[in-house]
Amino acid sequence: MKNHLEEHEITAAVAGLELEAATEEHLGSCVSCRRQVSAMREVIDARLEGLEAEAPDWERQRQEIMLQLPGTPMARPRRRRWTRPLLAVAAVLVAAIGLRALWAPTPVVEPGVPSELPVEQILAEVDAMLADDSIPGFELIDQGMDDAIFENGTS
Amino acid sequence: MDPSRTDLSQADDALVLRAQNGDHDAFGELVNRHQRRVWMVCRQYVGVGEADAAAQDSLVKAFTRIGDFDRRAAFSTWLTRIAINTCLDELRRRRREAIVDDESEGDEESNLLDRLPDDAAGPEGRSMQKQAVASLVEHEKTLPPRQREIFRLRFYAEMELEEIATALDVHVGTVKTQLHRAVHKLREELGAYR
Repeated sequence: MKNHLEEHEITAAVAGLELEAATEEHLGSCVSCRRQVSAMREVIDARLEGLEAEAPDWERQRQEIMLQLPGTPMARPRRRRWTRPLLAVAAVLVAAIGLRALWAPTPVVEPGVPSELPVEQILAEVDAMLADDSIPGFELIDQGMDDAIFENGTS
Repeated sequence: MDPSRTDLSQADDALVLRAQNGDHDAFGELVNRHQRRVWMVCRQYVGVGEADAAAQDSLVKAFTRIGDFDRRAAFSTWLTRIAINTCLDELRRRRREAIVDDESEGDEESNLLDRLPDDAAGPEGRSMQKQAVASLVEHEKTLPPRQREIFRLRFYAEMELEEIATALDVHVGTVKTQLHRAVHKLREELGAYR
Protein backbone atom coordinates (compact mmCIF):
# COMPACT_ATOMS: atom_id res chain seq x y z
CA MET A 1 0.00 0.00 0.00
CA LYS A 2 1.47 3.35 -0.99
CA ASN A 3 1.69 6.36 1.30
CA HIS A 4 -0.60 9.32 0.90
CA LEU A 5 -1.02 10.60 -2.62
CA GLU A 6 1.23 13.30 -3.89
CA GLU A 7 -0.11 16.65 -4.93
CA HIS A 8 -0.04 15.91 -8.64
CA GLU A 9 -2.03 12.74 -8.03
CA ILE A 10 -4.67 14.57 -6.02
CA THR A 11 -4.85 17.18 -8.76
CA ALA A 12 -5.21 14.50 -11.42
CA ALA A 13 -7.98 12.86 -9.43
CA VAL A 14 -9.82 16.17 -9.10
CA ALA A 15 -9.45 16.81 -12.82
CA GLY A 16 -10.80 13.37 -13.65
CA LEU A 17 -7.61 12.35 -15.41
CA GLU A 18 -6.55 8.76 -15.74
CA LEU A 19 -4.90 7.46 -12.56
CA GLU A 20 -2.51 4.62 -12.00
CA ALA A 21 -4.02 1.50 -10.47
CA ALA A 22 -2.08 1.98 -7.23
CA THR A 23 -3.32 5.55 -6.98
CA GLU A 24 -6.90 4.45 -7.53
CA GLU A 25 -6.51 1.76 -4.93
CA HIS A 26 -5.10 4.15 -2.37
CA LEU A 27 -7.82 6.67 -3.07
CA GLY A 28 -10.41 4.00 -2.48
CA SER A 29 -9.07 3.20 0.96
CA CYS A 30 -7.65 6.49 2.28
CA VAL A 31 -10.20 8.83 3.81
CA SER A 32 -7.73 11.69 4.03
CA CYS A 33 -6.75 11.69 0.36
CA ARG A 34 -10.32 11.12 -0.73
CA ARG A 35 -11.34 14.09 1.36
CA GLN A 36 -8.84 16.31 -0.43
CA VAL A 37 -10.26 15.32 -3.78
CA SER A 38 -13.87 15.64 -2.77
CA ALA A 39 -13.35 19.03 -1.10
CA MET A 40 -12.28 20.60 -4.38
CA ARG A 41 -14.94 18.77 -6.36
CA GLU A 42 -17.63 19.97 -3.97
CA VAL A 43 -16.63 23.58 -4.53
CA ILE A 44 -16.64 23.10 -8.30
CA ASP A 45 -20.01 21.34 -8.12
CA ALA A 46 -21.39 24.18 -6.03
CA ARG A 47 -20.18 26.65 -8.65
CA LEU A 48 -21.89 24.56 -11.33
CA GLU A 49 -25.12 24.62 -9.36
CA GLY A 50 -24.90 28.40 -9.26
CA LEU A 51 -24.43 28.54 -13.03
CA GLU A 52 -27.38 26.23 -13.60
CA ALA A 53 -29.54 28.52 -11.51
CA GLU A 54 -28.87 31.24 -14.11
CA ALA A 55 -30.01 29.03 -16.98
CA PRO A 56 -33.04 30.05 -19.02
CA ASP A 57 -36.33 28.20 -19.28
CA TRP A 58 -35.29 25.42 -21.65
CA GLU A 59 -38.74 24.84 -23.12
CA ARG A 60 -39.18 28.52 -23.87
CA GLN A 61 -35.76 28.65 -25.48
CA ARG A 62 -36.55 25.59 -27.58
CA GLN A 63 -39.82 27.09 -28.75
CA GLU A 64 -38.11 30.33 -29.73
CA ILE A 65 -35.57 28.39 -31.76
CA MET A 66 -38.23 26.27 -33.43
CA LEU A 67 -40.13 29.41 -34.42
CA GLN A 68 -37.07 30.59 -36.35
CA LEU A 69 -36.64 27.38 -38.32
CA PRO A 70 -39.33 27.69 -41.02
CA GLY A 71 -37.77 30.87 -42.36
CA THR A 72 -34.23 29.61 -42.05
CA PRO A 73 -32.62 28.12 -45.16
CA MET A 74 -31.06 24.75 -44.48
CA ALA A 75 -28.03 23.38 -46.28
CA ARG A 76 -28.86 20.07 -47.92
CA PRO A 77 -26.53 17.16 -47.28
CA ARG A 78 -23.45 17.39 -49.44
CA ARG A 79 -22.93 14.72 -52.04
CA ARG A 80 -20.17 12.41 -51.02
CA ARG A 81 -16.86 13.25 -52.59
CA TRP A 82 -16.65 10.05 -54.60
CA THR A 83 -19.98 10.41 -56.37
CA ARG A 84 -18.80 12.96 -58.92
CA PRO A 85 -15.81 10.97 -60.22
CA LEU A 86 -17.89 7.80 -60.24
CA LEU A 87 -20.61 9.46 -62.30
CA ALA A 88 -17.97 10.86 -64.66
CA VAL A 89 -16.49 7.41 -65.23
CA ALA A 90 -19.92 5.92 -65.83
CA ALA A 91 -20.69 8.63 -68.39
CA VAL A 92 -17.41 7.98 -70.22
CA LEU A 93 -18.16 4.27 -70.34
CA VAL A 94 -21.62 4.79 -71.73
CA ALA A 95 -20.32 7.24 -74.33
CA ALA A 96 -17.52 4.90 -75.37
CA ILE A 97 -19.87 2.00 -75.85
CA GLY A 98 -22.32 4.16 -77.77
CA LEU A 99 -19.65 5.59 -80.09
CA ARG A 100 -18.19 2.17 -80.69
CA ALA A 101 -21.58 0.90 -81.74
CA LEU A 102 -22.09 3.85 -84.09
CA TRP A 103 -18.67 3.60 -85.74
CA ALA A 104 -18.64 -0.15 -86.17
CA PRO A 105 -19.16 -1.19 -89.80
CA THR A 106 -22.69 -2.12 -90.48
CA PRO A 107 -22.84 -5.84 -91.04
CA VAL A 108 -24.11 -6.93 -94.38
CA VAL A 109 -27.37 -8.56 -93.79
CA GLU A 110 -28.07 -11.45 -95.99
CA PRO A 111 -31.69 -11.65 -96.95
CA GLY A 112 -33.41 -14.11 -94.73
CA VAL A 113 -30.51 -14.30 -92.24
CA PRO A 114 -31.09 -12.57 -88.85
CA SER A 115 -28.43 -9.99 -87.94
CA GLU A 116 -26.29 -10.57 -84.85
CA LEU A 117 -24.61 -8.02 -82.63
CA PRO A 118 -21.08 -8.90 -81.54
CA VAL A 119 -22.29 -9.38 -77.97
CA GLU A 120 -19.27 -11.33 -76.79
CA GLN A 121 -16.89 -8.70 -78.16
CA ILE A 122 -18.77 -5.82 -76.48
CA LEU A 123 -18.84 -7.62 -73.15
CA ALA A 124 -15.14 -8.38 -73.38
CA GLU A 125 -14.38 -4.70 -74.00
CA VAL A 126 -16.53 -3.61 -71.09
CA ASP A 127 -14.87 -6.16 -68.80
CA ALA A 128 -11.45 -4.94 -69.88
CA MET A 129 -12.38 -1.32 -69.11
CA LEU A 130 -13.83 -2.17 -65.74
CA ALA A 131 -10.74 -4.18 -64.82
CA ASP A 132 -8.50 -1.24 -65.59
CA ASP A 133 -7.42 0.27 -62.26
CA SER A 134 -6.31 3.49 -63.82
CA ILE A 135 -9.76 4.67 -64.80
CA PRO A 136 -9.61 8.46 -64.56
CA GLY A 137 -11.41 9.92 -61.60
CA PHE A 138 -10.98 7.12 -59.06
CA GLU A 139 -7.69 8.49 -57.84
CA LEU A 140 -9.75 11.39 -56.44
CA ILE A 141 -11.80 9.20 -54.16
CA ASP A 142 -9.59 9.32 -51.13
CA GLN A 143 -8.14 12.69 -51.86
CA GLY A 144 -9.05 15.10 -49.11
CA MET A 145 -10.43 12.39 -46.83
CA ASP A 146 -8.13 13.64 -44.13
CA ASP A 147 -9.69 17.06 -44.22
CA ALA A 148 -10.12 18.25 -40.69
CA ILE A 149 -13.57 17.54 -39.39
CA PHE A 150 -13.52 21.00 -37.98
CA GLU A 151 -14.56 22.35 -41.33
CA ASN A 152 -18.03 21.55 -40.12
CA GLY A 153 -17.90 23.79 -37.12
CA THR A 154 -16.19 26.77 -38.55
CA SER A 155 -18.25 29.83 -38.98
CA MET B 1 -16.19 7.43 -24.85
CA ASP B 2 -18.26 5.70 -22.21
CA PRO B 3 -21.17 3.43 -23.27
CA SER B 4 -23.90 5.86 -22.29
CA ARG B 5 -22.30 8.57 -24.42
CA THR B 6 -22.00 6.13 -27.30
CA ASP B 7 -25.72 5.38 -27.05
CA LEU B 8 -26.50 9.08 -26.99
CA SER B 9 -24.29 9.64 -30.01
CA GLN B 10 -26.02 6.87 -31.96
CA ALA B 11 -29.42 8.28 -31.09
CA ASP B 12 -28.15 11.69 -32.22
CA ASP B 13 -27.09 10.23 -35.55
CA ALA B 14 -30.60 8.98 -36.26
CA LEU B 15 -32.06 12.37 -35.40
CA VAL B 16 -29.44 14.16 -37.48
CA LEU B 17 -30.30 12.04 -40.49
CA ARG B 18 -33.96 12.99 -40.17
CA ALA B 19 -33.11 16.63 -39.58
CA GLN B 20 -30.93 16.64 -42.69
CA ASN B 21 -33.99 15.59 -44.63
CA GLY B 22 -35.92 18.58 -43.35
CA ASP B 23 -37.59 17.04 -40.29
CA HIS B 24 -37.97 19.97 -37.92
CA ASP B 25 -39.26 17.78 -35.10
CA ALA B 26 -36.06 15.77 -35.21
CA PHE B 27 -34.04 18.94 -34.96
CA GLY B 28 -36.26 20.03 -32.07
CA GLU B 29 -35.33 16.83 -30.27
CA LEU B 30 -31.65 17.55 -30.89
CA VAL B 31 -32.19 21.00 -29.38
CA ASN B 32 -33.79 19.36 -26.35
CA ARG B 33 -30.84 17.09 -25.87
CA HIS B 34 -28.07 19.63 -26.29
CA GLN B 35 -29.38 23.09 -25.44
CA ARG B 36 -28.16 22.91 -21.85
CA ARG B 37 -24.59 22.25 -22.85
CA VAL B 38 -24.69 24.85 -25.62
CA TRP B 39 -25.95 27.42 -23.16
CA MET B 40 -23.32 26.45 -20.59
CA VAL B 41 -20.56 26.78 -23.19
CA CYS B 42 -21.86 30.18 -24.26
CA ARG B 43 -22.15 31.19 -20.61
CA GLN B 44 -18.42 30.63 -20.17
CA TYR B 45 -17.47 32.78 -23.13
CA VAL B 46 -19.94 35.66 -23.32
CA GLY B 47 -21.31 35.79 -19.79
CA VAL B 48 -24.77 35.30 -18.41
CA GLY B 49 -26.27 38.38 -20.07
CA GLU B 50 -25.62 37.19 -23.60
CA ALA B 51 -25.51 33.44 -23.13
CA ASP B 52 -29.15 32.89 -24.06
CA ALA B 53 -28.91 34.83 -27.32
CA ALA B 54 -25.61 33.22 -28.22
CA ALA B 55 -26.99 29.76 -27.50
CA GLN B 56 -30.04 30.38 -29.67
CA ASP B 57 -27.86 31.76 -32.42
CA SER B 58 -25.61 28.70 -32.23
CA LEU B 59 -28.51 26.27 -32.43
CA VAL B 60 -30.11 28.05 -35.39
CA LYS B 61 -26.71 28.08 -37.12
CA ALA B 62 -26.45 24.37 -36.49
CA PHE B 63 -29.79 23.91 -38.23
CA THR B 64 -28.69 25.88 -41.27
CA ARG B 65 -25.48 23.85 -41.53
CA ILE B 66 -26.73 20.44 -40.57
CA GLY B 67 -26.47 19.34 -44.19
CA ASP B 68 -22.71 19.73 -43.88
CA PHE B 69 -22.45 17.54 -40.79
CA ASP B 70 -20.84 14.30 -41.95
CA ARG B 71 -20.78 12.40 -38.64
CA ARG B 72 -17.00 12.16 -38.50
CA ALA B 73 -17.25 13.68 -35.03
CA ALA B 74 -20.05 13.34 -32.50
CA PHE B 75 -22.92 15.74 -33.12
CA SER B 76 -22.45 17.21 -29.65
CA THR B 77 -18.81 18.01 -30.41
CA TRP B 78 -19.70 19.57 -33.76
CA LEU B 79 -22.40 21.62 -32.07
CA THR B 80 -20.06 22.72 -29.30
CA ARG B 81 -17.59 23.88 -31.89
CA ILE B 82 -20.30 25.98 -33.52
CA ALA B 83 -21.20 27.46 -30.13
CA ILE B 84 -17.59 28.34 -29.36
CA ASN B 85 -17.08 29.94 -32.76
CA THR B 86 -20.32 31.86 -32.45
CA CYS B 87 -19.20 33.26 -29.12
CA LEU B 88 -15.72 34.08 -30.37
CA ASP B 89 -17.18 35.85 -33.41
CA GLU B 90 -19.42 37.85 -31.14
CA LEU B 91 -16.53 38.73 -28.85
CA ARG B 92 -14.32 39.72 -31.76
CA ARG B 93 -17.10 41.87 -33.10
CA ARG B 94 -17.47 43.65 -29.83
CA ARG B 95 -13.75 43.80 -29.21
CA ARG B 96 -14.10 42.46 -25.80
CA GLU B 97 -11.97 40.25 -23.65
CA ALA B 98 -12.36 36.60 -24.64
CA ILE B 99 -13.72 35.37 -21.38
CA VAL B 100 -16.09 37.61 -19.51
CA ASP B 101 -15.24 38.17 -15.89
CA ASP B 102 -17.96 37.23 -13.50
CA GLU B 103 -19.02 39.39 -10.64
CA SER B 104 -17.27 38.45 -7.45
CA GLU B 105 -19.52 37.23 -4.71
CA GLY B 106 -17.16 37.86 -1.85
CA ASP B 107 -13.69 38.59 -0.64
CA GLU B 108 -10.79 36.36 -1.27
CA GLU B 109 -10.37 33.73 1.38
CA SER B 110 -7.38 31.57 2.06
CA ASN B 111 -7.38 27.91 2.93
CA LEU B 112 -11.06 27.58 2.21
CA LEU B 113 -10.88 23.99 1.20
CA ASP B 114 -9.21 23.01 4.43
CA ARG B 115 -11.81 24.85 6.42
CA LEU B 116 -14.78 23.29 4.72
CA PRO B 117 -16.52 20.99 7.17
CA ASP B 118 -17.17 17.43 6.05
CA ASP B 119 -20.89 18.05 6.00
CA ALA B 120 -21.44 21.19 3.98
CA ALA B 121 -25.21 20.93 4.37
CA GLY B 122 -25.40 22.85 7.65
CA PRO B 123 -25.54 26.66 7.89
CA GLU B 124 -21.82 26.95 8.63
CA GLY B 125 -21.00 24.54 5.85
CA ARG B 126 -23.11 26.43 3.35
CA SER B 127 -21.52 29.71 4.30
CA MET B 128 -18.03 28.27 3.96
CA GLN B 129 -18.88 26.72 0.67
CA LYS B 130 -20.26 30.00 -0.60
CA GLN B 131 -17.00 31.68 0.27
CA ALA B 132 -15.03 28.92 -1.37
CA VAL B 133 -17.10 29.25 -4.53
CA ALA B 134 -16.57 33.01 -4.55
CA SER B 135 -12.88 32.45 -4.21
CA LEU B 136 -12.93 29.89 -7.00
CA VAL B 137 -14.67 32.37 -9.29
CA GLU B 138 -12.08 35.02 -8.49
CA HIS B 139 -9.10 32.76 -8.98
CA GLU B 140 -10.48 31.33 -12.21
CA LYS B 141 -10.02 34.81 -13.64
CA THR B 142 -6.32 34.70 -12.91
CA LEU B 143 -5.77 31.55 -14.93
CA PRO B 144 -4.21 31.89 -18.38
CA PRO B 145 -7.04 32.04 -20.97
CA ARG B 146 -6.47 28.57 -22.37
CA GLN B 147 -6.37 26.96 -18.93
CA ARG B 148 -9.47 28.82 -17.89
CA GLU B 149 -11.28 27.83 -21.05
CA ILE B 150 -10.40 24.16 -20.65
CA PHE B 151 -11.23 24.16 -16.94
CA ARG B 152 -14.66 25.62 -17.60
CA LEU B 153 -15.46 23.35 -20.53
CA ARG B 154 -14.46 20.36 -18.42
CA PHE B 155 -16.34 21.16 -15.26
CA TYR B 156 -19.18 23.47 -16.23
CA ALA B 157 -19.98 22.28 -19.74
CA GLU B 158 -19.11 18.78 -18.49
CA MET B 159 -17.23 17.80 -21.61
CA GLU B 160 -14.98 14.78 -21.99
CA LEU B 161 -11.28 15.49 -22.51
CA GLU B 162 -11.38 14.17 -26.08
CA GLU B 163 -14.38 16.34 -26.87
CA ILE B 164 -12.59 19.42 -25.59
CA ALA B 165 -9.55 18.56 -27.68
CA THR B 166 -11.68 18.17 -30.79
CA ALA B 167 -13.73 21.28 -30.14
CA LEU B 168 -10.64 23.42 -29.53
CA ASP B 169 -8.58 21.75 -32.24
CA VAL B 170 -5.77 20.83 -29.87
CA HIS B 171 -4.16 17.55 -28.88
CA VAL B 172 -5.79 15.72 -26.01
CA GLY B 173 -2.43 15.75 -24.22
CA THR B 174 -2.56 19.54 -24.27
CA VAL B 175 -6.00 19.44 -22.68
CA LYS B 176 -4.76 17.14 -19.92
CA THR B 177 -1.73 19.28 -19.22
CA GLN B 178 -3.63 22.55 -19.17
CA LEU B 179 -6.39 21.09 -17.05
CA HIS B 180 -3.91 19.68 -14.57
CA ARG B 181 -2.19 23.05 -14.29
CA ALA B 182 -5.49 24.85 -13.85
CA VAL B 183 -6.69 22.54 -11.09
CA HIS B 184 -3.30 22.66 -9.41
CA LYS B 185 -3.29 26.45 -9.42
CA LEU B 186 -6.85 26.69 -8.14
CA ARG B 187 -6.25 24.19 -5.35
CA GLU B 188 -3.16 26.13 -4.40
CA GLU B 189 -5.04 29.42 -4.41
CA LEU B 190 -7.88 27.99 -2.42
CA GLY B 191 -5.39 26.77 0.13
CA ALA B 192 -5.53 23.06 -0.30
CA TYR B 193 -1.88 22.56 0.49
CA ARG B 194 -1.18 22.31 4.14
